[in-house]
Parts: sequence; structure tokens; C-alpha cells
Amino acid sequence: MTAAADSAPERIDTRDTTPWSTYIVVFLAPAAIVYTIFSIYPLFDTIRLSLYAQDANGAVSFVGPGNFVTLLTDPRWSGPFWNALKNNLVFFAVHMVVQNSIGLALAVLLSLPALMGRNIYRTLIFLPTMLSVVIIGFIWQLILSPLWGVARGFLASLGAGSWFAPWLGLEGTALVTVSLISVWQFVGIPMMLIYAALLNIPDDLVDAATVDGANQWRVFWHIKLPLILPTLGVVAILTFVGNFNAFDLIYAMKGAIAGPNFSTDILGTFFYRAFFGYQLQAGSKTMGATVATVMLGIILVGVLLYLFGVQRRLQRHAL
Amino acid sequence: MIGFAGLPRPGRIAVHAALVLYTILAIGPILLVVMNSFKARKAIFGSPLSLPDGTSFSLIGYDSVLAKADFGLYFVNSLVVTVASLFFVLLFGAMAGWALTEYRFRGNLVLGLYLAIGIMVPIRLGSVSILSMMVDLGLVNTLVALILVYTAMGLPLAILILGEFMQQIPKDLRDAARCDGVSEYRIFFAVILPLIRPAVATVAVFTMVPIWNDLWFPLILAPGRNTQTVTLGVQQFIGQYVTDWNAVLSSLTLAIAPILLLYILFSRSLVRGLTAGAVK
Amino acid sequence: MADVSLAGVSKSFGSVQVLKDINLDVKDGEFVVFVGPSGCGKSTLLRIIAGLERVSAGEIRIGGERVNDVPPAGRKIAMVFQSYALYPHMTVYRNMAFGLKFTRAGKAEVDRRVRHAAEILQLTPYLDRKPRALSGGQRQRVAIGRAIVRDPAVFLFDEPLSNLDAALRINTRIEIAKLQRDLKATTIYVTHDQVEAMTLASKIVVINQGRIEQIGSPLDLYHRPANLFVAGFIGSPKMNFIKGADGKAATLGVRPEHVVEGDRPDMGLRVAGTVDAVEHLGESSFIYMKLDDGTPFIARTPGDTRAEVGQRLSFGAAEAQVHRFDTEGRALAPG
Repeated sequence: MTAAADSAPERIDTRDTTPWSTYIVVFLAPAAIVYTIFSIYPLFDTIRLSLYAQDANGAVSFVGPGNFVTLLTDPRWSGPFWNALKNNLVFFAVHMVVQNSIGLALAVLLSLPALMGRNIYRTLIFLPTMLSVVIIGFIWQLILSPLWGVARGFLASLGAGSWFAPWLGLEGTALVTVSLISVWQFVGIPMMLIYAALLNIPDDLVDAATVDGANQWRVFWHIKLPLILPTLGVVAILTFVGNFNAFDLIYAMKGAIAGPNFSTDILGTFFYRAFFGYQLQAGSKTMGATVATVMLGIILVGVLLYLFGVQRRLQRHAL
Repeated sequence: MIGFAGLPRPGRIAVHAALVLYTILAIGPILLVVMNSFKARKAIFGSPLSLPDGTSFSLIGYDSVLAKADFGLYFVNSLVVTVASLFFVLLFGAMAGWALTEYRFRGNLVLGLYLAIGIMVPIRLGSVSILSMMVDLGLVNTLVALILVYTAMGLPLAILILGEFMQQIPKDLRDAARCDGVSEYRIFFAVILPLIRPAVATVAVFTMVPIWNDLWFPLILAPGRNTQTVTLGVQQFIGQYVTDWNAVLSSLTLAIAPILLLYILFSRSLVRGLTAGAVK
Repeated sequence: MADVSLAGVSKSFGSVQVLKDINLDVKDGEFVVFVGPSGCGKSTLLRIIAGLERVSAGEIRIGGERVNDVPPAGRKIAMVFQSYALYPHMTVYRNMAFGLKFTRAGKAEVDRRVRHAAEILQLTPYLDRKPRALSGGQRQRVAIGRAIVRDPAVFLFDEPLSNLDAALRINTRIEIAKLQRDLKATTIYVTHDQVEAMTLASKIVVINQGRIEQIGSPLDLYHRPANLFVAGFIGSPKMNFIKGADGKAATLGVRPEHVVEGDRPDMGLRVAGTVDAVEHLGESSFIYMKLDDGTPFIARTPGDTRAEVGQRLSFGAAEAQVHRFDTEGRALAPG
């Protein structure tokens, strides 16, 4: 066929550069000012504070990387820090594996064409995500409490009553239990994002693949999954940032001590204790800033890895 | 597409079974708490899975919550903080989003990226410094402190979503207004703002829910008796009366109720926002 | 190669019936075009033949075999979509090879077929590109290539030209006609554009509101429309309709290109009115008139016709060119 006059179309931005004028300043100033003072400045100031130490009288002196050395080498700090980091990794791993695969599965089911009751399912399954983490934490604490016995009764009705244990109270199971409660609450987010991505795949593509002889499973594997990979990337980084910044759930269920025996301690609760102190130890502004800076570093590494490693490869396809 | 309708009958039943089971798992625990909050203590423990009936029905939990905790105040505090933050996030966010998408000035891209940092980097990590600042400003234990922080927290996402939405408004519309000699301010307030109403609804929900639910900043910046929000108030109340099951269940139900109501009212626009661009 | 036959095909979506009792035979090697206004059900009918929709009633046969319950892949068909439906994450090569992945064809055979199709369609230099890096016309050719490699018994086209600009559309139209002649494949093509239908089809099926209005060759439909709908749909500009000008017929019809200026008693139809607008196209002119009873009327006249807006003119047509329709809109036999 003829190839005449069909070079690839190009979109050209034809806007001129406008000079800065009063109205541009007026439009931008309120957001820029509030955001700079209460978001960006505190972050940088926290990094600055991490380089100082405060003595008992409240006098502040520059110590360079001293706080970081303390955090990583002083046994009073390094033990809890590595414990919190390890627990946080477990917390994250449970979310990545359980939350995101259930979210994907639910999204796939919900996106089946001609499914009846789709909106009702979607709305109800998303409901827990809307509620406060604190409330969710208490609700599950009650349900799993041996005092109330609802969970035990439920298992017993399934003939598995002997499986019951006070999971939240046992050092070996508390962390995974708390992680699963968080998964239960937030599964709606990956579900919705993936569902939206699946709906965005044009019907024609699925029809074309069907005509090409692909069954439903192959359509999913060869067409849909590759096309929603960028969304799975977004889900992964959102999960990462959310998990390494989590605090409310553990604090509500287990308090700042993150018991039993710090087995549910994650970086968020560790940060809180460093900052405000607890029974055994006085709080320290500068050590709090140090922990926050480390958390910031971890999150930045994750975000940068995503932006320059993952997202580049998972380019969005113009559909 | 054949899709669901094309599945064999057992396949269709299996899909519904899976979804129904998961739906029960998702809302069962919430229903359980709400249900039992209306029961007497004996029934809570005796038959937790049954609905309250003539003999088991009791409002004793609510009586004791309302007597021991100032729930009315918590609600007002949460409402003031949420509504005020929401107002500033939407107004400032729309203005900045408009400037960034409409005008091509020097530093446009850099400023856009700067304002986007907050999408990925949690403002919480600056808490040490935020607290010092609020102490210096004399704003500790005031709702103003919370409003300022939440405004800063909500802006990045609002700017991004509203800006993207504004880009889809036909350029002719603004150019027509400019030919008529309308000022840039009036174009924004009279032409653009009314057109982005659907996006505003979406951003409103995204912004509102985390603010209403937050525990961290109320705990750090405004833990005083008079400035407690619902989330913090409930957390403190339960910590204190952990053995009073009626009161605990009632306080949880009271805390859930407003969000539940809001969700029922706005779930359509929320879902539309989450699945934006995927309307079929 | 195969023939396609539809017997009593109906389709409802909920309570809405979109296709009503469709009966149609497509012979082996024929180029059949479904034409009709948008929403008439023509695309649904094509998708039923493809197996992408199920029928509510009726029977579909391809190559003599009943295929109602055969999935699309088993029907020996290939389909070209309006949006092209190219897989955005696959190269041109993989797009074309995708459908062969699930057949018994070996790697070498797949490669041979893809390269052969690319050759025919002049796509060889683009095989490693993603669809995003192609122009509209090239994407269109990939979509056709994907159909060719499957070596189908029946080609299905769903408005394949509507996303192309006017010049490219005419080019591609000619290429599709040539390709169909070379491959001698049974082809069913859906369009809302009657010009495409007239130029491509060996047989046109006019569909309106879920029913077949008429089946026939392009010239058949032009010269002997079975009813008012077909008469008005085929031909451009539209046929003029004049109400009750004749004792026998409820409506008279005459095409703009068949009227001549003047008022002679031997004419089968005579009208007069005031000129509303005149368009000079060079080789001909269109005179838009309002007849005395308010009916609009278009005449196509020689290019150098002089007519002024507001002028009174008379037109007529030879009896052989006049179409007559009864009160139900059905064409009456001539004479």
C-alpha cells in the first residue's frame, strides 16, 4: 500500500513563554508559601537538626554525623533501630505479596464485562479504606481478643477452633497479624487503581486478541497484564512509601512500645519514641530528627529507584 | 466483548462467590462493632453475632461515652480542621494548578517539580521541626496549627490533579474570554473554576479523608483537652476505658458514623475520581 | 475460503432489540458491505459473525458449518477494527505474529507468513517498531497485516477507514479493493459511508433500525431502491422527495442529477419553485430550491448554469427517472 503522506504525527507545544507578571505571582504565591513553610522547610530543618546534639540543659551543639554513628553503633539505639527496620521490611513484604495480589485479583474479577452488582461490590470492599486506621486497629483488637471470643467462635464454627491463639499478644505472630490487619484495610487502594487501569484497556484490544485465538487467561497474561504494569509500579511505590511512614495502626493497637517486646516496632513508632521518649528513656529532638532523616533517606532511595529504574522500563503505552 | 457473560455457569457462580466472600470479610468486622454497640454487655459476650433485639437492645454504651467524653467537641474540632484545610487546599491548589498549566513562565517546570515533592515525601518526617515551629509561633494546642499543616500536606496532589484537569478544558474557551478583554483573574474565577467542579469533588474526597482520620498530627501538635479531634479523642477514650466494652463499641461506632454517612453520599464521585478517565 | 449465511438472526441487549430476523447469504469470494446510519446494528451484526457477540436467536453458518457456539478463534475469520486495536506493547512483528502463537504453526512458518504480509503491505522496514511510532496509515496497514497472516476464510472490516484523513481514505479504499481481488477472500465490510459502500462492494446490504432494508449490487440499489429509506440513503446529494404529486403514489422521488431545467408536458415529473442558494462546483452546479408548497428540492445542473437567488425556476425529469413509493414507503413497480 502507499506510504505517501503518512509520517508519524508530532504534537508541538505552541505556547509562547510569558514573562512573569503580577497575576502569575498572585496565583502561585499562597500555595508556594504555605507548602514551603510547613512542608519543605521542616523537612530540611529536620535534616539540619540531625547534625546537632542537645545536652541536658537544652543547649544545642553541632556534632556532624555523630547522631548517625550513635544510631548505628550505640547498642541502646542500634538494636531497636535494626529491629524496627527489619520489622518494617516484613510489614512491607506482607503488603506487597498479600495486599497487592488480592487487590489485583479483586480488580480482575470486578472488571469482567457484564458482571452484575459490580458497583456494590466495589463500594463495600473499598469501605474499610475510608475509615481511620485507629478505628480499624481497635475493631480488630476487639475481634481477635480472647476475652470477646468472636474470632475463636468463628473458627470453631468452621471446625478449626483449636487454631485460635491470641495472635496479637504473641511475639511470634503479632507483627504478621498487624500487617494483615493493615492489608485488610488498604486492599481497596490497589484494587481501585488496577481496576481503573483495566477499564482503560480498550475493548477492541481484547476483542482483537479473542479473534486472534487467545482465551480469557491468555488475554489477561499477554494483553492486560503488560498494559497494567505501569499501574502495578505505582501501586508498589505507594505501598512502599505508605509502609515506611506507617505509625497510627501500631500506636493504636500496641502503643508506642510496640509490644509484645518490640515485636511490632516499625520505623514510625521508633521515630515517635526517639522524639518523645518513653518509660526507659527521655525523648530527644535531635535523635528524633536523626531517625526521621534516616526514614527520609530510605523513602527517597525507594522513590528514586522507582523513578529511574522501574518507571523508565515500564513506559506507558499510548493506547 | 464476551467476558463475564461468556463464562460458563459454574465460572460465573465462582466469581460471585469469591466477591461475596470478600465483601463479607471487608464489612463484617465493621458491622459486628456497630451491631454490638447497641447491645447490653451480657448480649455482647453471649451472642456477639446476632442483631440486637428487644431484650438485648441497650444504649448504655452511648450513655457512658457521652457522659465521660466530650464527643460533641471532638466532632466540632474535626469538622473545623477538615473543612478549613479543605477550603485552602482547593482554593490555593486550583490557583497554583492553573498558573502552572496555563502560563509558560521561566521556572515553570522547576516549580512544578518542587510542588510535586510532597506527593512522595511524607510531611510527617518533618514533625520535629514542625513542632518547634509551632511552639515558637505559639500555635501548639490550636486548631490553626493543624489547618496549616494539613493545607501544606494536601496541596501537592491537589495541584497535580486539578492542573491535569484544567489542561483538558478547551483552549478556545480561555482565548475567547481574553479576546473579550476579561482579566486573568476573572477567567480563572468565572470561567475555569466552575468548569472543574467534578475534579474538585474528587480532590475534596482525597484530601478530606486522610485529614479526618489522622492521628499523628493531633497527637503531636494539639493533644490538649480542648483541641482533640475525633480520632485522637476516641484513641484516648478507649485507652482509658478499655474494659468498658459497651463504651468502647459505642465510641467506635460514633467515630465511624460521619465517614460512613459521607461515603454513602459521595461514593459515586469518589469512585469516579479513583477510576478517572475510565468512564465507560 | 468460505461462504457465510445468516438465518433468522436476532439480537437483544436487555429489552432493546438491535437486530430483527436477519437473513443473508454471502457467497464465497464476495465483497459484501453493510451500510446504514450509525446505531442501525450493522457493527453488532459483524461482531455476531466474528463470534464477539452471541445471537439471541437464529443461526450463523460459515463454510456450511453452524458456528453459533464456536469461539471467534475457531471460525476462520480475521477482523480489522476501527481503532485498529494494535497491541501497544508489542512491535509490529509481534502484533502480526500474536494470533499465530496459539495455532500449530511453527516458528519458521510464522516468520514466513509475517514477512510475506509485511512485504505485501510495505511494512518490512517497520517490523521492529511499536505502533506508537507509526502514522495512522501505517497502523491501518498493520491491522490489515494482522488479519492477512491468519489466512482466514472470511475477512471482517469494521469501519476501517474512519480514522484516516480524506486523501488517505481514498488511497486505502483502492488498496483494500485490490487486496481483496488478489486474495479472493470472502469479505464483509461495515461502513456508514455510502460512497465507500458503492465503490467497494460487489453486494451491498442496507441496514436500518436492526432490519435489512435491501440487498443488491451498488447499481441495483441506485437505480431500483426498494423503499424510501434506501432511495434516500444511497446517492449524494440525496434523492428529492415530493409528496402526493401523483394519483397513484404517495411520494415521488427523483435524483438531483436526473432533473433538467424547463417545463415540458412529456416529463414524468414537473416542479417549480424559488432558488434559495446556488453552489458552483465547476463541472456542475447545485441549485437549492424551495418548491411552492415549501418542500426543499436540489437540482444538479451543468457547470455554467446561471441562476440567481430568489429567481423562479421550473425543473422536470423523464418518466424513466422518476421513482414512485406507496404510503408505506415501498417502491411501486414502474408504469
